[in-house]
Amino acid sequence: MTFNSEDIYELADIVWSTVLALPIEPDTSGSVGRRPRSMAACIQITGGWNGAIVLDCPASVARHAAAIMFQTQPAQVSMADIQDAIGELANIVGGHVKSLLPQPCHLSLPTVIEGGDYSTRVPGSRLVSRVGFVCDGDTASISILEKAEARHANV
Amino acid sequence: MSSVATTSASLSTKLIVPFLTSVQSVFAMMVKVEAKAGRPFLKTDAAVTHDVSSIIGFSGEIVGNVVVSFPTTVAEKLASAFAGTPLTVKDADFADALGELANMIVGGAKKHLGVSASITCPSVIIGTGHHLARLRDVPCVVIPCATPVGDFAVEVNIKQVECVKP
Repeated sequence: MTFNSEDIYELADIVWSTVLALPIEPDTSGSVGRRPRSMAACIQITGGWNGAIVLDCPASVARHAAAIMFQTQPAQVSMADIQDAIGELANIVGGHVKSLLPQPCHLSLPTVIEGGDYSTRVPGSRLVSRVGFVCDGDTASISILEKAEARHANV
Repeated sequence: MSSVATTSASLSTKLIVPFLTSVQSVFAMMVKVEAKAGRPFLKTDAAVTHDVSSIIGFSGEIVGNVVVSFPTTVAEKLASAFAGTPLTVKDADFADALGELANMIVGGAKKHLGVSASITCPSVIIGTGHHLARLRDVPCVVIPCATPVGDFAVEVNIKQVECVKP
């Protein structure tokens, strides 16, 4: 299965504009992968295609997204709200990606991670696509990892 | 259409004991290291116990996730014992070994849960002080485990739900 970077960016654009009403721009800085304090949500897909989708956001973007989704101010959202928001965004992205895959496929619940210096690894997978985009001046990314024997990918 | 409702006995020893026994049998058989499970306790914060987290999710009649949490040095020693070759956190096989270890522990426990549930492929998070989102309506039960090469913990944050099919 191949994933076109333009399609993944368009998917991010659709989700960000329809769910959050926030504009995004393509990342041209090459800073994807370097991050300060950030949040990531990982959705596993099993069935006709096996792999994972990882949405990686700077904490500030995740907080802004949660404020929009919960219709409150960024300073007022709780960590639980932020976790729910980033998990839901990953779920929506995963649902869109799932529709492109051979059926039947099943989505897992999202695993949401928060921290300052961590890496996410999905054992037995390889990175097939990573698309960075800029929102609120910070870079977020969507990574697609496909399960493969005896390989793994770092996100 | 289907509906899901949490059972009243959403957290019980029935859901925890299988993990206690599974972790001991997997370590004895596959890692060749004795793991002694201590008295489980509850935690409320989202910080994982240690620096390396191997995570398996549940879906179906059980939802939530289980995290096997290791200090980095202990993870390296246990991954090496499990793989039969020296592994460090920088090795590609390090995450594979810990993911598979968690898969065996959770898979072994699942057999004894007596419910229809699926488990996800593992994901492994490496980094000091990371936090994981948890189910908020059930406590996270931490099973502290001791081995000759160091301590680790199994964090069980799951609940049983009733799936009503049409």
